[in-house]
Amino acid sequence: MGERITFWYGCNVLRHGDIIHSCLDILRLLGIDAQPAGGPDYCCGTGKDENQTAADGMARRTVTKFNAMQRERVVAWCPSCHSHMTEFMGQAYPPDFALTYLVDLLYERRQDLSALLKHPVPMRVLLHKHVGFNDKVAVNEKVPALLRLIPGVEVVDDGYAAPGYMCALLNLVPKAMADMNRETLRRVALHRADAVVTIFHQCYREICGLEAHANTKAFNYIHLLAQSIGLDYIDEYKAWKKAGADAAALIGEKRLAQVGVQFFDRALLPELMKRPLGLDPKSPDPKTQPAVVRGADED
Amino acid sequence: MKREAMPTGAMKEFIRAETERILAACTRCGKCFEACPMTPYSPVLAGADPKAVVTGILALLREEGNNPEAIGWTSVCVRSGSCVPACPENVDPKMMMRIARMTASGGLGGEKRIAARHDRDYFDRVRAFAKLQLTEDEIKDWM
Repeated sequence: MGERITFWYGCNVLRHGDIIHSCLDILRLLGIDAQPAGGPDYCCGTGKDENQTAADGMARRTVTKFNAMQRERVVAWCPSCHSHMTEFMGQAYPPDFALTYLVDLLYERRQDLSALLKHPVPMRVLLHKHVGFNDKVAVNEKVPALLRLIPGVEVVDDGYAAPGYMCALLNLVPKAMADMNRETLRRVALHRADAVVTIFHQCYREICGLEAHANTKAFNYIHLLAQSIGLDYIDEYKAWKKAGADAAALIGEKRLAQVGVQFFDRALLPELMKRPLGLDPKSPDPKTQPAVVRGADED
Repeated sequence: MKREAMPTGAMKEFIRAETERILAACTRCGKCFEACPMTPYSPVLAGADPKAVVTGILALLREEGNNPEAIGWTSVCVRSGSCVPACPENVDPKMMMRIARMTASGGLGGEKRIAARHDRDYFDRVRAFAKLQLTEDEIKDWM
Protein backbone atom coordinates (compact mmCIF):
# COMPACT_ATOMS: atom_id res chain seq x y z
CA MET A 1 0.00 0.00 0.00
CA GLY A 2 1.11 3.53 -0.69
CA GLU A 3 0.24 6.69 1.15
CA ARG A 4 -1.52 6.33 4.50
CA ILE A 5 -4.41 8.73 4.85
CA THR A 6 -7.43 9.27 7.04
CA PHE A 7 -10.59 9.41 4.93
CA TRP A 8 -12.79 11.84 6.87
CA TYR A 9 -16.18 11.24 5.34
CA GLY A 10 -18.26 13.36 7.72
CA CYS A 11 -21.68 12.81 9.28
CA ASN A 12 -24.60 13.19 6.92
CA VAL A 13 -23.02 11.21 4.08
CA LEU A 14 -23.84 8.20 6.24
CA ARG A 15 -27.18 8.38 4.43
CA HIS A 16 -25.25 7.20 1.39
CA GLY A 17 -23.36 4.03 2.26
CA ASP A 18 -22.82 3.44 -1.45
CA ILE A 19 -20.88 6.70 -1.75
CA ILE A 20 -18.66 5.88 1.26
CA HIS A 21 -18.00 2.34 0.03
CA SER A 22 -17.29 3.53 -3.50
CA CYS A 23 -14.86 6.20 -2.29
CA LEU A 24 -12.98 3.63 -0.23
CA ASP A 25 -12.79 1.21 -3.15
CA ILE A 26 -11.54 3.96 -5.45
CA LEU A 27 -8.87 4.99 -2.93
CA ARG A 28 -7.81 1.36 -2.52
CA LEU A 29 -7.62 0.87 -6.27
CA LEU A 30 -5.42 3.96 -6.43
CA GLY A 31 -3.07 2.25 -3.99
CA ILE A 32 -3.94 4.44 -1.03
CA ASP A 33 -4.24 3.05 2.50
CA ALA A 34 -7.34 4.90 3.70
CA GLN A 35 -8.58 4.65 7.28
CA PRO A 36 -12.24 5.78 7.30
CA ALA A 37 -13.36 8.10 10.11
CA GLY A 38 -16.67 9.88 10.47
CA GLY A 39 -20.01 10.10 12.20
CA PRO A 40 -20.84 11.95 15.41
CA ASP A 41 -17.56 11.05 17.15
CA TYR A 42 -15.61 12.86 14.42
CA CYS A 43 -18.09 15.69 13.91
CA CYS A 44 -16.53 19.03 12.98
CA GLY A 45 -19.19 20.99 14.86
CA THR A 46 -19.95 23.37 12.02
CA GLY A 47 -23.66 23.09 12.75
CA LYS A 48 -23.26 24.42 16.26
CA ASP A 49 -23.27 28.14 15.54
CA GLU A 50 -25.68 28.61 18.42
CA ASN A 51 -23.39 26.87 20.92
CA GLN A 52 -19.71 27.62 20.53
CA THR A 53 -18.89 25.84 23.77
CA ALA A 54 -20.09 22.60 22.17
CA ALA A 55 -18.42 23.49 18.86
CA ASP A 56 -15.16 24.11 20.70
CA GLY A 57 -15.31 20.71 22.37
CA MET A 58 -16.05 18.96 19.08
CA ALA A 59 -13.22 20.76 17.31
CA ARG A 60 -10.71 19.92 20.03
CA ARG A 61 -11.86 16.30 20.23
CA THR A 62 -11.74 15.72 16.46
CA VAL A 63 -8.37 17.40 15.85
CA THR A 64 -6.92 15.47 18.81
CA LYS A 65 -8.19 12.16 17.40
CA PHE A 66 -6.79 12.88 13.95
CA ASN A 67 -3.44 13.91 15.43
CA ALA A 68 -3.34 10.63 17.33
CA MET A 69 -3.95 8.64 14.13
CA GLN A 70 -0.58 9.92 12.85
CA ARG A 71 -1.49 9.67 9.19
CA GLU A 72 0.18 11.87 6.59
CA ARG A 73 -2.98 13.64 5.64
CA VAL A 74 -6.67 13.78 6.31
CA VAL A 75 -8.70 13.66 3.12
CA ALA A 76 -12.13 15.18 3.59
CA TRP A 77 -15.21 14.16 1.65
CA CYS A 78 -17.51 16.79 3.15
CA PRO A 79 -17.14 20.45 2.12
CA SER A 80 -18.52 21.61 5.47
CA CYS A 81 -15.94 19.59 7.41
CA HIS A 82 -13.17 20.79 5.10
CA SER A 83 -14.24 24.43 5.43
CA HIS A 84 -14.67 24.24 9.18
CA MET A 85 -11.27 22.61 9.64
CA THR A 86 -9.64 25.25 7.44
CA GLU A 87 -11.44 28.27 8.83
CA PHE A 88 -11.94 27.42 12.52
CA MET A 89 -10.86 24.06 13.96
CA GLY A 90 -7.36 24.04 12.54
CA GLN A 91 -6.87 27.68 13.49
CA ALA A 92 -7.78 27.01 17.10
CA TYR A 93 -6.26 23.55 17.56
CA PRO A 94 -3.01 22.87 15.70
CA PRO A 95 -3.31 19.86 13.41
CA ASP A 96 -0.42 17.43 12.90
CA PHE A 97 -1.70 16.51 9.46
CA ALA A 98 -2.23 18.06 6.07
CA LEU A 99 -5.82 18.51 4.94
CA THR A 100 -6.89 17.67 1.40
CA TYR A 101 -10.29 17.61 -0.22
CA LEU A 102 -11.13 14.33 -1.99
CA VAL A 103 -11.69 16.03 -5.35
CA ASP A 104 -8.15 17.42 -5.16
CA LEU A 105 -6.75 13.98 -4.40
CA LEU A 106 -8.64 12.37 -7.28
CA TYR A 107 -7.53 15.18 -9.57
CA GLU A 108 -3.89 14.69 -8.47
CA ARG A 109 -4.24 11.03 -9.32
CA ARG A 110 -6.35 11.47 -12.45
CA GLN A 111 -3.97 9.53 -14.71
CA ASP A 112 -4.21 6.47 -12.46
CA LEU A 113 -7.94 7.03 -12.05
CA SER A 114 -8.42 7.22 -15.80
CA ALA A 115 -6.89 3.77 -16.20
CA LEU A 116 -9.60 2.36 -13.90
CA LEU A 117 -12.49 3.86 -15.87
CA LYS A 118 -13.10 1.02 -18.28
CA HIS A 119 -16.86 0.82 -18.63
CA PRO A 120 -18.62 3.41 -20.79
CA VAL A 121 -21.33 5.45 -19.12
CA PRO A 122 -23.18 7.00 -22.05
CA MET A 123 -24.75 10.06 -20.48
CA ARG A 124 -25.02 13.78 -21.13
CA VAL A 125 -24.91 15.46 -17.75
CA LEU A 126 -25.45 18.86 -16.20
CA LEU A 127 -23.14 19.47 -13.24
CA HIS A 128 -24.92 21.05 -10.28
CA LYS A 129 -22.65 23.81 -9.00
CA HIS A 130 -22.57 26.41 -6.24
CA VAL A 131 -20.67 29.67 -6.07
CA GLY A 132 -19.14 28.92 -2.65
CA PHE A 133 -16.33 26.49 -1.75
CA ASN A 134 -14.82 26.84 -5.22
CA ASP A 135 -12.40 29.40 -3.76
CA LYS A 136 -11.01 26.65 -1.50
CA VAL A 137 -11.04 23.80 -3.99
CA ALA A 138 -11.78 24.39 -7.66
CA VAL A 139 -14.50 21.75 -7.68
CA ASN A 140 -16.49 23.48 -10.41
CA GLU A 141 -13.58 22.89 -12.78
CA LYS A 142 -12.05 19.70 -11.39
CA VAL A 143 -15.20 17.59 -11.10
CA PRO A 144 -16.12 18.12 -14.78
CA ALA A 145 -12.52 17.20 -15.64
CA LEU A 146 -12.88 13.97 -13.65
CA LEU A 147 -16.24 13.18 -15.23
CA ARG A 148 -14.78 13.71 -18.69
CA LEU A 149 -12.31 10.89 -18.00
CA ILE A 150 -15.29 8.49 -18.07
CA PRO A 151 -15.87 6.98 -21.50
CA GLY A 152 -19.26 8.12 -22.78
CA VAL A 153 -19.86 10.93 -20.32
CA GLU A 154 -20.51 14.34 -21.84
CA VAL A 155 -20.59 17.27 -19.42
CA VAL A 156 -22.55 20.19 -20.84
CA ASP A 157 -21.04 23.66 -20.59
CA ASP A 158 -23.31 25.70 -18.38
CA GLY A 159 -22.56 28.81 -16.35
CA TYR A 160 -25.21 28.51 -13.64
CA ALA A 161 -24.00 28.16 -10.08
CA ALA A 162 -26.50 28.35 -7.23
CA PRO A 163 -25.93 30.64 -4.24
CA GLY A 164 -24.31 29.23 -1.13
CA TYR A 165 -21.75 26.48 -1.06
CA MET A 166 -24.15 23.54 -1.01
CA CYS A 167 -27.89 22.92 -1.04
CA ALA A 168 -28.58 22.01 2.57
CA LEU A 169 -28.09 25.60 3.74
CA LEU A 170 -30.62 26.77 1.13
CA ASN A 171 -33.24 25.00 3.22
CA LEU A 172 -32.95 28.04 5.47
CA VAL A 173 -34.21 30.23 2.65
CA PRO A 174 -37.01 28.22 1.01
CA LYS A 175 -37.57 30.68 -1.84
CA ALA A 176 -33.90 30.39 -2.81
CA MET A 177 -34.20 26.60 -2.74
CA ALA A 178 -37.31 26.77 -4.94
CA ASP A 179 -35.52 29.08 -7.39
CA MET A 180 -32.56 26.69 -7.51
CA ASN A 181 -34.79 23.69 -8.22
CA ARG A 182 -36.63 25.48 -11.00
CA GLU A 183 -33.45 26.80 -12.56
CA THR A 184 -31.82 23.37 -12.42
CA LEU A 185 -34.74 21.72 -14.18
CA ARG A 186 -34.90 24.52 -16.75
CA ARG A 187 -31.26 23.98 -17.60
CA VAL A 188 -31.59 20.20 -17.75
CA ALA A 189 -34.29 20.72 -20.38
CA LEU A 190 -32.37 23.48 -22.16
CA HIS A 191 -29.30 21.29 -22.60
CA ARG A 192 -31.32 18.11 -23.16
CA ALA A 193 -29.24 16.58 -20.38
CA ASP A 194 -29.88 12.99 -19.36
CA ALA A 195 -29.10 13.68 -15.72
CA VAL A 196 -28.00 16.24 -13.18
CA VAL A 197 -24.83 15.37 -11.26
CA THR A 198 -23.93 16.79 -7.86
CA ILE A 199 -20.54 17.32 -6.27
CA PHE A 200 -21.62 17.21 -2.62
CA HIS A 201 -23.84 14.77 -0.71
CA GLN A 202 -25.73 17.69 0.83
CA CYS A 203 -26.85 18.63 -2.68
CA TYR A 204 -27.47 15.04 -3.71
CA ARG A 205 -29.85 14.60 -0.78
CA GLU A 206 -31.97 17.43 -2.20
CA ILE A 207 -31.41 16.93 -5.93
CA CYS A 208 -32.24 13.23 -5.95
CA GLY A 209 -35.70 14.43 -4.97
CA LEU A 210 -35.93 15.70 -8.55
CA GLU A 211 -35.80 12.11 -9.73
CA ALA A 212 -38.52 11.17 -7.28
CA HIS A 213 -40.69 14.14 -8.21
CA ALA A 214 -39.91 15.17 -11.77
CA ASN A 215 -38.26 12.04 -13.15
CA THR A 216 -35.04 13.93 -13.76
CA LYS A 217 -32.23 11.48 -13.19
CA ALA A 218 -29.77 12.48 -10.49
CA PHE A 219 -26.37 11.17 -9.46
CA ASN A 220 -23.39 12.17 -7.41
CA TYR A 221 -20.14 12.29 -9.39
CA ILE A 222 -18.83 9.35 -7.36
CA HIS A 223 -21.72 7.24 -8.67
CA LEU A 224 -20.55 7.73 -12.24
CA LEU A 225 -16.89 7.06 -11.44
CA ALA A 226 -17.92 3.90 -9.58
CA GLN A 227 -20.14 2.76 -12.44
CA SER A 228 -17.32 3.15 -14.91
CA ILE A 229 -14.91 1.25 -12.69
CA GLY A 230 -17.45 -1.55 -12.35
CA LEU A 231 -18.33 -1.07 -8.68
CA ASP A 232 -21.93 -2.03 -8.14
CA TYR A 233 -23.05 -0.56 -4.83
CA ILE A 234 -26.76 0.15 -4.72
CA ASP A 235 -27.97 3.71 -4.16
CA GLU A 236 -30.48 2.81 -1.49
CA TYR A 237 -31.10 6.37 -0.36
CA LYS A 238 -32.42 7.31 -3.79
CA ALA A 239 -34.60 4.21 -3.89
CA TRP A 240 -36.03 5.10 -0.47
CA LYS A 241 -36.52 8.69 -1.55
CA LYS A 242 -38.37 7.58 -4.68
CA ALA A 243 -40.51 5.21 -2.64
CA GLY A 244 -41.41 8.02 -0.22
CA ALA A 245 -44.12 6.83 2.14
CA ASP A 246 -43.42 3.24 1.08
CA ALA A 247 -39.70 3.35 1.90
CA ALA A 248 -40.13 1.09 4.90
CA ALA A 249 -41.05 -1.81 2.64
CA LEU A 250 -37.72 -1.48 0.82
CA ILE A 251 -35.77 -1.24 4.05
CA GLY A 252 -37.39 -4.32 5.46
CA GLU A 253 -38.50 -5.27 8.93
CA LYS A 254 -35.12 -6.47 10.17
CA ARG A 255 -33.30 -3.23 9.43
CA LEU A 256 -36.24 -1.12 10.58
CA ALA A 257 -36.13 -2.91 13.91
CA GLN A 258 -32.44 -2.00 14.23
CA VAL A 259 -33.24 1.70 14.10
CA GLY A 260 -36.65 1.44 15.75
CA VAL A 261 -39.91 1.80 13.86
CA GLN A 262 -41.06 4.81 15.87
CA PHE A 263 -37.77 6.59 15.39
CA PHE A 264 -37.85 5.83 11.67
CA ASP A 265 -41.36 7.26 11.37
CA ARG A 266 -40.46 10.39 13.34
CA ALA A 267 -36.94 11.19 12.22
CA LEU A 268 -36.21 9.52 8.89
CA LEU A 269 -39.44 9.10 6.97
CA PRO A 270 -40.32 12.83 6.72
CA GLU A 271 -37.00 13.44 4.99
CA LEU A 272 -37.61 10.58 2.55
CA MET A 273 -41.08 11.90 1.76
CA LYS A 274 -39.93 15.48 1.28
CA ARG A 275 -40.15 16.67 -2.31
CA PRO A 276 -38.37 19.57 -3.98
CA LEU A 277 -39.80 23.03 -3.44
CA GLY A 278 -41.24 25.19 -6.14
CA LEU A 279 -41.64 22.83 -9.07
CA ASP A 280 -45.33 22.58 -9.80
CA PRO A 281 -48.69 22.99 -8.06
CA LYS A 282 -48.20 19.63 -6.34
CA SER A 283 -45.06 20.98 -4.71
CA PRO A 284 -45.21 22.43 -1.24
CA ASP A 285 -45.47 26.19 -1.24
CA PRO A 286 -42.22 27.66 0.19
CA LYS A 287 -44.31 30.11 2.21
CA THR A 288 -46.02 27.27 4.00
CA GLN A 289 -42.93 25.15 4.59
CA PRO A 290 -41.65 25.06 8.15
CA ALA A 291 -38.43 27.01 8.45
CA VAL A 292 -35.43 24.74 8.77
CA VAL A 293 -33.05 26.20 11.26
CA ARG A 294 -29.32 26.15 10.67
CA GLY A 295 -27.57 23.39 12.44
CA ALA A 296 -29.93 20.65 11.40
CA ASP A 297 -28.44 19.77 8.04
CA GLU A 298 -25.10 21.39 7.65
CA ASP A 299 -22.64 18.68 6.96
CA MET B 1 6.96 12.14 21.45
CA LYS B 2 3.69 12.42 23.32
CA ARG B 3 2.03 15.71 22.74
CA GLU B 4 0.53 17.77 25.55
CA ALA B 5 -3.27 17.73 25.59
CA MET B 6 -4.63 20.88 24.04
CA PRO B 7 -6.48 23.17 26.45
CA THR B 8 -10.15 23.86 25.77
CA GLY B 9 -11.55 27.22 24.76
CA ALA B 10 -9.26 27.89 21.80
CA MET B 11 -12.16 28.26 19.35
CA LYS B 12 -13.71 31.10 21.30
CA GLU B 13 -10.29 32.73 21.61
CA PHE B 14 -9.78 32.45 17.87
CA ILE B 15 -13.24 33.89 17.20
CA ARG B 16 -12.57 36.78 19.58
CA ALA B 17 -9.29 37.54 17.82
CA GLU B 18 -10.95 37.36 14.41
CA THR B 19 -13.70 39.68 15.62
CA GLU B 20 -11.14 42.24 16.73
CA ARG B 21 -9.30 41.98 13.43
CA ILE B 22 -12.51 42.47 11.44
CA LEU B 23 -13.65 45.42 13.55
CA ALA B 24 -10.28 47.09 13.03
CA ALA B 25 -10.04 46.39 9.30
CA CYS B 26 -13.56 47.02 7.97
CA THR B 27 -14.15 50.50 6.49
CA ARG B 28 -17.93 49.96 6.12
CA CYS B 29 -17.79 50.55 2.37
CA GLY B 30 -20.66 48.09 1.79
CA LYS B 31 -19.09 46.33 -1.21
CA CYS B 32 -19.60 42.93 0.47
CA PHE B 33 -23.33 43.57 0.81
CA GLU B 34 -23.57 44.70 -2.80
CA ALA B 35 -21.91 41.47 -3.99
CA CYS B 36 -24.18 39.14 -2.00
CA PRO B 37 -26.52 36.98 -4.16
CA MET B 38 -28.87 36.36 -1.23
CA THR B 39 -30.03 39.88 -0.36
CA PRO B 40 -33.15 39.66 -2.60
CA TYR B 41 -34.40 36.87 -0.35
CA SER B 42 -34.79 39.07 2.72
CA PRO B 43 -37.71 41.54 2.57
CA VAL B 44 -36.09 43.83 5.14
CA LEU B 45 -33.14 44.34 2.82
CA ALA B 46 -35.13 45.87 -0.04
CA GLY B 47 -33.63 49.29 -0.64
CA ALA B 48 -31.22 48.95 2.26
CA ASP B 49 -28.12 51.15 2.38
CA PRO B 50 -25.12 48.78 2.13
CA LYS B 51 -22.97 50.93 4.40
CA ALA B 52 -25.69 51.03 7.05
CA VAL B 53 -26.18 47.27 6.91
CA VAL B 54 -22.46 46.63 7.36
CA THR B 55 -22.37 49.14 10.22
CA GLY B 56 -25.16 47.08 11.80
CA ILE B 57 -23.16 43.88 11.32
CA LEU B 58 -20.17 45.42 13.09
CA ALA B 59 -22.42 46.51 15.95
CA LEU B 60 -23.69 42.95 16.14
CA LEU B 61 -20.11 41.70 16.42
CA ARG B 62 -19.64 44.07 19.35
CA GLU B 63 -22.86 42.67 20.89
CA GLU B 64 -24.23 46.20 20.74
CA GLY B 65 -26.91 46.15 18.11
CA ASN B 66 -30.22 44.78 16.97
CA ASN B 67 -30.31 46.41 13.55
CA PRO B 68 -33.12 44.58 11.69
CA GLU B 69 -31.31 44.82 8.38
CA ALA B 70 -28.14 43.35 9.85
CA ILE B 71 -30.16 40.54 11.42
CA GLY B 72 -31.97 40.04 8.10
CA TRP B 73 -28.73 39.77 6.14
CA THR B 74 -27.25 37.40 8.70
CA SER B 75 -30.37 35.23 8.44
CA VAL B 76 -30.06 34.69 4.68
CA CYS B 77 -26.28 34.24 4.50
CA VAL B 78 -25.57 30.78 3.09
CA ARG B 79 -21.79 31.28 2.73
CA SER B 80 -21.68 31.95 -0.99
CA GLY B 81 -18.39 33.76 -0.48
CA SER B 82 -19.13 36.27 -3.26
CA CYS B 83 -18.35 38.96 -0.70
CA VAL B 84 -14.74 37.86 -0.25
CA PRO B 85 -13.25 39.09 -3.53
CA ALA B 86 -15.50 42.17 -3.39
CA CYS B 87 -13.82 43.45 -0.22
CA PRO B 88 -11.10 46.02 -0.98
CA GLU B 89 -9.58 45.63 2.49
CA ASN B 90 -9.26 41.80 2.58
CA VAL B 91 -11.46 41.71 5.67
CA ASP B 92 -12.92 38.29 4.72
CA PRO B 93 -16.58 39.27 4.96
CA LYS B 94 -17.59 35.60 4.86
CA MET B 95 -15.85 35.16 8.20
CA MET B 96 -17.44 38.40 9.38
CA MET B 97 -20.91 37.08 8.52
CA ARG B 98 -20.22 33.69 10.07
CA ILE B 99 -19.22 35.26 13.35
CA ALA B 100 -22.21 37.61 13.12
CA ARG B 101 -24.37 34.52 12.73
CA MET B 102 -22.79 32.85 15.76
CA THR B 103 -23.28 36.05 17.75
CA ALA B 104 -26.88 36.56 16.62
CA SER B 105 -27.81 33.01 17.51
CA GLY B 106 -26.38 33.42 21.01
CA GLY B 107 -23.50 31.05 20.32
CA LEU B 108 -20.93 33.24 22.03
CA GLY B 109 -22.97 33.70 25.17
CA GLY B 110 -24.84 36.88 24.33
CA GLU B 111 -28.45 37.67 23.48
CA LYS B 112 -30.23 35.35 21.03
CA ARG B 113 -31.42 37.47 18.12
CA ILE B 114 -32.07 34.65 15.65
CA ALA B 115 -34.25 31.69 16.56
CA ALA B 116 -32.29 28.46 16.58
CA ARG B 117 -34.07 25.14 16.72
CA HIS B 118 -32.26 22.32 18.38
CA ASP B 119 -32.71 19.18 16.28
CA ARG B 120 -32.83 16.56 18.99
CA ASP B 121 -32.64 13.74 16.46
CA TYR B 122 -29.66 15.05 14.49
CA PHE B 123 -26.96 12.62 15.60
CA ASP B 124 -29.36 9.74 16.20
CA ARG B 125 -30.61 10.20 12.64
CA VAL B 126 -27.03 9.99 11.35
CA ARG B 127 -26.45 6.84 13.41
CA ALA B 128 -29.71 5.33 12.18
CA PHE B 129 -28.80 5.83 8.52
CA ALA B 130 -25.41 4.28 9.30
CA LYS B 131 -27.09 1.23 10.83
CA LEU B 132 -29.18 0.84 7.68
CA GLN B 133 -26.19 0.77 5.34
CA LEU B 134 -22.99 -0.15 7.15
CA THR B 135 -22.07 -3.44 8.77
CA GLU B 136 -21.57 -3.70 12.52
CA ASP B 137 -17.82 -4.00 12.01
CA GLU B 138 -17.75 -0.92 9.79
CA ILE B 139 -19.65 1.07 12.39
CA LYS B 140 -17.25 -0.13 15.09
CA ASP B 141 -14.11 0.61 13.07
CA TRP B 142 -15.11 3.74 11.12
CA MET B 143 -17.25 5.78 13.49
